[in-house]
Amino acid sequence: MPLVSMKKVDIISALCVIPICVYVFYESGRWPILPDLGNPAWIPRGVAAVLLGAALLLLGKALTGRSLTLPGRLEGADRARVLSVAALTGVYVVIIERLGFMTATAPYLFGFSLALGERRWSRLILFAVVVPVTTYVVFDRLLNVPLPRGLFR
Amino acid sequence: MVDLGLLLHGFGTVLSGYNIIALVLGSFFGIIIGAIPGLTATMGIAILVPFTFGMTPITGIVMLLGIYTGAIYGGGIASILIKTPGTPAAAATVFDGYPMAQQGLAGRAIGIATISSGVGGTFTALCLAFFAPILATFALRFSAPEYFALACFGLAVTITLSGRSPVKGVISGLLGLLLAMVGLDPMGGFQRFTFGFAELTGGLSFVPMLIGLFALSEGFRQVEIILTAPKVSAVLKNILPSLQDLKKCLPAFLRACPIGLIVGITPAIGADTAAFLSYAETKRASKEPESFGKGNPAGVAAAQCGENASTGGDVLPMITLGIPGDAATAVLMGALTIHNLQPGPMLFQGHPEVVHQIFAGMIAANVVFVILGLIFARFFAQVINIDRKFLVPLIFVTCMVGSYAINNVLYDLATCAIFGFLGYLMIRYDFPVAPMVLAQILGGMMESNYRRAVVMFQGDVSMFLTRPIALTILALAAFTTIVAVRRQRAALKQEAAQLAALEQSSGQ
Repeated sequence: MPLVSMKKVDIISALCVIPICVYVFYESGRWPILPDLGNPAWIPRGVAAVLLGAALLLLGKALTGRSLTLPGRLEGADRARVLSVAALTGVYVVIIERLGFMTATAPYLFGFSLALGERRWSRLILFAVVVPVTTYVVFDRLLNVPLPRGLFR
Repeated sequence: MVDLGLLLHGFGTVLSGYNIIALVLGSFFGIIIGAIPGLTATMGIAILVPFTFGMTPITGIVMLLGIYTGAIYGGGIASILIKTPGTPAAAATVFDGYPMAQQGLAGRAIGIATISSGVGGTFTALCLAFFAPILATFALRFSAPEYFALACFGLAVTITLSGRSPVKGVISGLLGLLLAMVGLDPMGGFQRFTFGFAELTGGLSFVPMLIGLFALSEGFRQVEIILTAPKVSAVLKNILPSLQDLKKCLPAFLRACPIGLIVGITPAIGADTAAFLSYAETKRASKEPESFGKGNPAGVAAAQCGENASTGGDVLPMITLGIPGDAATAVLMGALTIHNLQPGPMLFQGHPEVVHQIFAGMIAANVVFVILGLIFARFFAQVINIDRKFLVPLIFVTCMVGSYAINNVLYDLATCAIFGFLGYLMIRYDFPVAPMVLAQILGGMMESNYRRAVVMFQGDVSMFLTRPIALTILALAAFTTIVAVRRQRAALKQEAAQLAALEQSSGQ
């Protein structure tokens, strides 16, 4: 796999970090200074200052072509797979409390395995049914860890 | 010094009732996790921490110790059978393990790897039991300035030694420090960085974040690459090594044990470095170095023994000073905290019986995985063939359930998912994840001790330079940072040359 420069990633990362540092300075300026307890802003500001320096260093290195390399870009089918799994997981987090653990997990697992390229339907269905039921029994019944019941509440 | 009475009592506790069942189950799952390429010991502990919530502290901890030691050993199985290390730490086992398998000696190689891991692990666990009380007694002299210096040292080492780029390590670690500040001010009690969310008042949920950054992120990585590991077809026979084999491996054990221990104690470098150093040293000292890389059992023994010998060294600074040696011990530390046990010298004062139970658990875990490894070698070999299209979704659901199980709130689930994806992006683009988590642990220690020190010495910050222990630790932190920056410069030069050559070749 050919090596690819991380210039773009480094620039984006640095540009994401800089506003965080600025915000730390802004918010820590509003904190109360308590007598005899030292200035609470010292450590956060110190951390933010070093972080800002590191972000600027990363940015400078990227702009002067001194970024490190990574083996290959994430593109095509690989990127589609990662993004679809991320989207599925996001939806799962949103619906799990409303639908309940088993009702939400079954389609999640089905879609997940499908996204990974599994096409044997019998296995997909069996997996999507057995895993949620087993997990529910182990956690909710045996380990007494309540899982969301949603529709079955 | 180690209290033998308490240690024996610790063995009694660990080897009785549910504890021994938890230890065996932990070791079993640990070996499985280690044997599957792409799954690491850290990930295994992070995923299975929630399973210990309902257990008593010692039952939960011995289970996690079983997972930890078992996973470190299990990585060698895949190295031998399919030339793909089960865990990064087992990379050195490939050199001689795979050639042995190609010669039809896979069973013998796994047997030697198992015994060697057990020897290294037991040695280091005994050293832990011996040295930890001494170090903890010394650490009782520490006051706020020393703890602040220690936290700085831990941060400096983990940040600068992690990953290829210290700058990215610094960014990751400092972001972790800022995340540790979310919640209430440790002395003033006012809200910081909560953006008005009530859920953030108590700080970010540490365990869901840990599961996200260490386990879910690796899950995303597996989605990206969908590892197509070669199927295991080797027939395992003669697994139990002969006395002659062990005699040949003895010099490797004698070198790998101390190397592993010392490397383990050094923060931020762990089992992988220990394995490579042990292998290289054994090869260098051998009368027939040319046989290494062609299936020399001593090569397998050195790598596996060194790898497991680092585990006790990793645990030592965590349990005595509250400073995790690597990512896996950071997760272990998180688990101890969940069970209301705060690692550090006060743990030795307040709960000496628990500390000795942990020592006993660590020693027993190394014996248990040897027994399991020898009995179930053929089963663990088949585990490598498990279909990723089902394994990866299972990991995701386990992470989600584990995160939800802590407080039964959706917020924890969302934290795990968000940090899982963030962790994946960080791994993908070379930002090390471990500094972010370690900084979360050390951040609180650093800030509260700094503030306490300032109050104790009435604002005079020169106390960091006038107290010899604090000054020595801070000097060590500065020295480590300088060395790491110099190392990074050399690496950058090398990569720039590679990139230039690549651009030149693509231009032609």
